[in-house]
Amino acid sequence: MMRGGGGIGGGMMRGMRGTSADSMFAPSNDNLTDEDVVGRVYDNKVVMRFMTFIKPYRTFALIALASLLVYATVNAAIPLLIKYGIDWAIAEGEVNRVHIIGVAFMAITVIHFLSNRLQFIFISRTGQHVLYDLRSGMFSHLQNQSNAFYHRTPIGRIMSRMQSDVLQLQETFELLALALAELVTVGAIIILMLIVNWQLALVCMFVVPVLTVIMMYWQRFARHSFMRIRRAIAMVNGEYNQNITGVRVVQSLNRQDENMAHFRTLNQEYLDANLEAARYSGMLQPLVELLIGLGIGLGVVLFGGWLLQRDALEVGTLVAFAFWIQRFFEPIRQLTMQYSQLQRAMAAGVRIFEVLDLEPDILDKPDAVALPEVQGEIRYNDVNFHYVSGVEVLRNVNLHIKAGENVALVGSTGAGKSTLVNLLHRSADVTGGAITVDGYDLRDVKRESLVHQMSMVLQEPYLFSGTVRENICYQSEGVSDEQIIAAAQAVGAHDFVMEMEDGYNSELAERGINLSIGQRQLISFARAIVGNPRILVLDEATANIDTHTELLIQQALNRILKGRTSIVIAHRLSTIRNADKIVVLDRGRVAEVGSHDELLEAGGVYAQLYAINYGLSGPSVGVAPVGGEVIGADGLSPAAAD
Amino acid sequence: MGILLRIIGMAAHYPARLSLAYTSALAAIGFSLALPWLFGGAIDLMVGQDSETKEFFRKDFELAALVFFGVGILVVSLGRGFCDFARTYTTESLSQKVSFDCRNLLYDKLQNVSFAFHDKEHTGDLMSRATADVEAMRRFVNLGMIRSLDVVVRIIAIPFILFFLNWELALVSMIFVPAIVLRSTFVMRALRRKWLHVQEVMGESVTVLQENLAGMHVVKAFASENYERKKYNRKAEELRVEYFDAERMQGTNSSWMTLYFTFALGLILWFGGWQVVQGDLTAGDLAKFFLYLNQLTFPIRASAQIINTFSRAMSSGQRLFNVLDARSPVSERPDAVAMGRPKGHVRFEKVGFSYADRSPALREVNLDAKPGQVTAILGAPGSGKTTVVNLLPRFYDVTDGQITIDGADIRDFTLQSLRHNVGIVHQDVYLFSASIKDNIAYGVSNATDEDVERAAKVAQLHDQIMALPNGYDTWVGERGTTLSGGQRQRLSIARTILIDPPVLILDDSTSSVDVETERQIHRAMVEVMKGRTTFVIAHRLSTVREADQILVLDKGIIAERGSHEQLIRSGGIYQSIYELQLRPQEEVLLEAAVPAMADGRAAL
Repeated sequence: MMRGGGGIGGGMMRGMRGTSADSMFAPSNDNLTDEDVVGRVYDNKVVMRFMTFIKPYRTFALIALASLLVYATVNAAIPLLIKYGIDWAIAEGEVNRVHIIGVAFMAITVIHFLSNRLQFIFISRTGQHVLYDLRSGMFSHLQNQSNAFYHRTPIGRIMSRMQSDVLQLQETFELLALALAELVTVGAIIILMLIVNWQLALVCMFVVPVLTVIMMYWQRFARHSFMRIRRAIAMVNGEYNQNITGVRVVQSLNRQDENMAHFRTLNQEYLDANLEAARYSGMLQPLVELLIGLGIGLGVVLFGGWLLQRDALEVGTLVAFAFWIQRFFEPIRQLTMQYSQLQRAMAAGVRIFEVLDLEPDILDKPDAVALPEVQGEIRYNDVNFHYVSGVEVLRNVNLHIKAGENVALVGSTGAGKSTLVNLLHRSADVTGGAITVDGYDLRDVKRESLVHQMSMVLQEPYLFSGTVRENICYQSEGVSDEQIIAAAQAVGAHDFVMEMEDGYNSELAERGINLSIGQRQLISFARAIVGNPRILVLDEATANIDTHTELLIQQALNRILKGRTSIVIAHRLSTIRNADKIVVLDRGRVAEVGSHDELLEAGGVYAQLYAINYGLSGPSVGVAPVGGEVIGADGLSPAAAD
Repeated sequence: MGILLRIIGMAAHYPARLSLAYTSALAAIGFSLALPWLFGGAIDLMVGQDSETKEFFRKDFELAALVFFGVGILVVSLGRGFCDFARTYTTESLSQKVSFDCRNLLYDKLQNVSFAFHDKEHTGDLMSRATADVEAMRRFVNLGMIRSLDVVVRIIAIPFILFFLNWELALVSMIFVPAIVLRSTFVMRALRRKWLHVQEVMGESVTVLQENLAGMHVVKAFASENYERKKYNRKAEELRVEYFDAERMQGTNSSWMTLYFTFALGLILWFGGWQVVQGDLTAGDLAKFFLYLNQLTFPIRASAQIINTFSRAMSSGQRLFNVLDARSPVSERPDAVAMGRPKGHVRFEKVGFSYADRSPALREVNLDAKPGQVTAILGAPGSGKTTVVNLLPRFYDVTDGQITIDGADIRDFTLQSLRHNVGIVHQDVYLFSASIKDNIAYGVSNATDEDVERAAKVAQLHDQIMALPNGYDTWVGERGTTLSGGQRQRLSIARTILIDPPVLILDDSTSSVDVETERQIHRAMVEVMKGRTTFVIAHRLSTVREADQILVLDKGIIAERGSHEQLIRSGGIYQSIYELQLRPQEEVLLEAAVPAMADGRAAL
């Protein structure tokens, strides 16, 4: 039932997750480690938590449950009807009674059908709603995590939680519904058998305790072999993934033969593990058949015959019991097979709830106010910051940026430039001191109202799939076409956009890779200024841009900085020179502040830097990039060549 | 159909398993068909019918006579159990073998097929072929090939027995069979479409998710969390609706199947009962009818599932065979010979190249690099620089002209020997999940620790590796330490030094690094180029200046060639590149020089 679709995509991600059997402890909460939790089959906390998700759909769930109960009971009762048909009507030779039973049976058939359909539909409906809520809830929660979280958590791990773990739960949800139906059926069968003829019932069921013991013993082996399968498939898929992503290296280093040999051993282990599991699960087959044989052959036929001989039983009862016994063992077998699925589901549940329980790093204060429209005056007062206690990234930073001022931030890698600007839009909170905009402490205002008045342009332009228009007016609703075009014109993107097939409605591929990197940069400029923010933070790109685009970007830069408070992490001399104020950062401290001329005159760090740069020449001088080329991307960078 | 035949062909590689699976399946059916017969026989032994009143009466029977039936049923059940076990196990083993083979073939294909193929394919898609599609094939072998026999035989044999027992009752109880066949055919198509659609929507939602996560810094920078939530929820909602729709269809189908079955049971009770009362049927035969029909439940339920595996196998098989059949445009000639160690005289003779369905990427490229010479290649993105160097190790094959090494066409050699002699240092270095040592020795499986260390020293990487807590055993790659761009590049250089190829391609990194790193990379590059015919895709002035010849590519044509001085004087593209880059070069250095000057520490 419903198996067909449940597994779509699930197997793949499940397999790709790394496994490491030696750490069996619950994953630490803050970076979603991906160790395999060898969990319990039933985890009350997980189940209870899951129930809260079903709660909003309890009407659906109740309908599903009710129809499931009806269906299972009718299922168990059909042989009873056959018994009465035989004993009450046929055995008596009464044609009219045969017709009555016939009609009654048809009525039951309709109920059977309707309840069956209802349970399918409502289980699926409840399940899909719950899955939607889980997905949506997890996504929403992920949006609240800070950049620091994403820095330490690989995307693949989050993806696998949102995909395979959710699918895992979905499969289990359907499985549980199925298991419940089976349990009810088995229960009803036992009750009916006991009512109809308790002696025969007891004789036929005497094997059940034996079966239970055998199953429990079997379980331990089966469980081991299922885990072996999971470990093996993770290795196989990991190797696959590595082979595909690293194919260019593999080929250029001629590693195919060694890799193939290595892969074969992994693949063989997976095969062996599967065969072992097949032996275990196959073993149950003769067992169940034996029990059916014992039940029908010895129980029903022999003992039943003996009872019949004593007139303690009617012939219809024998037929009904034959039905019941055949139905009886199947669910038990099914349930044991699903043991490992349950285990996986519990682990998936734990992982999903971990995501839902992530603490958002930055929360607005309850009494946070909306920041009114600002002029753009920024102050850093004695700002300290660290990610890890004791390792200060920023130390006693004091900075005053007047409204409308252009500031260039200069310093080596690791000096704290990015951290300094990231604090401004509260991707993290200061650990000491305060940052104010127009006198408002950032922590006292609603983050959204703050961030909507500033724009960030990142070094690596990142675009979303969608049209050019959607990318430019990204999330700023109610932006007119004129504003979009104006923004594009201001940054010099209008011309190449118009040259595209559908102009502003042209679809961008995933991450905009059908544009050259320079074009992507220009679009991201347009995106930054379309909402006309008062404050602009810009991380100047250094790499991978050809000279033509370089010029375009320079020009765009001059235009978009005009009239705004801006902080630029600057790499180009022209940008630095044109700045109203240069801030030189050195290992988390502000080393110098001033204009180009002032700093030169002062003869400090900046002046030395400047002198050294003009003094340097010869072989050790680097040339800025002529252009980076991606294999196979030839012809995809239209504007680049000219 | 061809696809299914091909999968069957793969299974036919294991004739013993296949025939054992079929034999045991047939035997199991035989045993299970005997059970109702025995049971009905027992009933007739016990119960008779009065020919006048049509009432049942208990016959006088010996319990001993019943033992035959009782034990018979037990034996038949056991026989069925063991045959089922044999069938399940052989089927499972057969299907696992097929998927085992499939994974091996796929793996081998993927690592050998040319770059042109990988350019077009996405990792995620290839992964899903290796997992989901292989699994669909396995299920087809299991259910579609073996289990379907079980289903088909029962669906034919049971009605046959029933007709033999009583053709009128058989006709009545079998009226649902055409309905099932019709329904299955219809549902098979519709469901397949539905699930494909669900898969598409799921793919779209994953794209939204992935873009969101990968672009989280942008989301944060624009405080657009709510906008993203809406975007994702729209997709999730669509997924919910589509998923539900498909499941409803599947569930409805399953309910109908069950209905047919219960309905037929009812008809047997009604019409069969009436016949018994008429004296046309014995009680035992009626019981047989019930039990045989009961045995049809499983095949009928399974048929929907099996039909599903057929359609899944067709689409999955197609996706798999597309890859397995992909003809690598780069293939070895049958008479290819192993290349010895060449001196390294490389010539491009009127080389032209175009990527599939695109305008030419290279036209009439002539080039002559003498052994040990350094050739720098410059040009704007898209001008064909990478293409030129990718042709040399035959990651792609020329579409015009030829490339020779020491005078022989490179297509005359085996790929392995050619690539062994043409080393490449990639711009974006891929690290495997393995230790640093294993990553350096990646191309040379028998390298000793000393070899690796020596190579790392030449590549100016040794000291930094030793500074790591686990030294050469430090785990890198996906689940390990990440090295900086400069370190990765030098690791790639060390790899190449270890292989010691006479011809070398250097794809120089463009990332901005500090002065110290810059120097280290430069030193490593100088070391690795010594004594090798080298092609450099150059981004550094230093490299360009030292080259024996400089080629400037423009839209697939060599626009200029010569030494640095010659080209500067000629006032062409090279000169403008040079002029334009000089200004930014200083500015990059301003950034880079700070650590060098301030404390001189090397960032690791």
